[in-house]
Amino acid sequence: MFRPRMSDISNSTSQFEQEGPSQDVGDQAKVYAARMRLQNALDQADALDAIREIAGNLIGTEEVAVFKVDKKRSELWLYWSFGVDPNKHSVLEVAREPKLKQVLSGKAVFRLRLSSENLLSTDDPVSALVPILVDGIPSAVIVLFRLFPHKQGIQPVDREICEVLSNCAGRAIEPYHSR
Amino acid sequence: MPKKVLLVDDSTTTLMMEEMILKQRTSYQCVTAKDGLDAISRAVVESPDLVLMDVVMPRMNGFEACKRMRLEASLRETPIILVTTRGEEEYVEAGFQSGCNDYITKPIDSFELVTLLHSYLGE
Repeated sequence: MFRPRMSDISNSTSQFEQEGPSQDVGDQAKVYAARMRLQNALDQADALDAIREIAGNLIGTEEVAVFKVDKKRSELWLYWSFGVDPNKHSVLEVAREPKLKQVLSGKAVFRLRLSSENLLSTDDPVSALVPILVDGIPSAVIVLFRLFPHKQGIQPVDREICEVLSNCAGRAIEPYHSR
Repeated sequence: MPKKVLLVDDSTTTLMMEEMILKQRTSYQCVTAKDGLDAISRAVVESPDLVLMDVVMPRMNGFEACKRMRLEASLRETPIILVTTRGEEEYVEAGFQSGCNDYITKPIDSFELVTLLHSYLGE
């Protein structure tokens, strides 16, 4: 299985350095690592594994699910999950979930740090809803559930990582989607 | 001679991020391993000045690898920092019982990581 070798990193560092001088090096590294991991995903299974890795190692949640949008765009069906009970989250109805309408317009939605409002009508706290864009169209939604207890809410760098997920995770739902 | 850090994680994403941070913010040399078993053999060969190791990994987890490294004469004094997803007391205690010197929680904060490594290896 092809994975970016660590020896490749030195060659790619110059691109990484150009991400922006004002951004913290650690933040740049996270965003860059997320992009590289997704762009180098071998196949659909590897792309889903990349989503799990990015959620757990870079954002700070081990509860994540991907819901695919149905043809009528009225429901989202659970496609893959990690760390959550799939029986509790098999389908999301767009009509009952106002935040999903926003996500299906292509914009990620995040739970504000001090807000008690949940993003979905579920008992499990939802931290972010991230559309997966395939050819520019939201075709699925990544749901990031409970963050690690020591994690202080969604940070600015997490939003950037979610943007990478949104733009580069198409292969997770469309096996032949180009990178 | 630059100090050598062995980075251990089954996630290529994490290894890439850690190596980028250390390359940008320190003069340390990085070597990598993808699980606990791999880490032990790499550590014996490379004699790193510090090991930064994930806990949850296939084949052999970080706790077990840490214990086994402590049985190797050449690694008995090598600082080992475990990377955990949980900061709860009992989990941290299990780490220290395995022989680690310190721990850091995911997601890794670059400032915290560099400060911690500097405290063991100097700048």
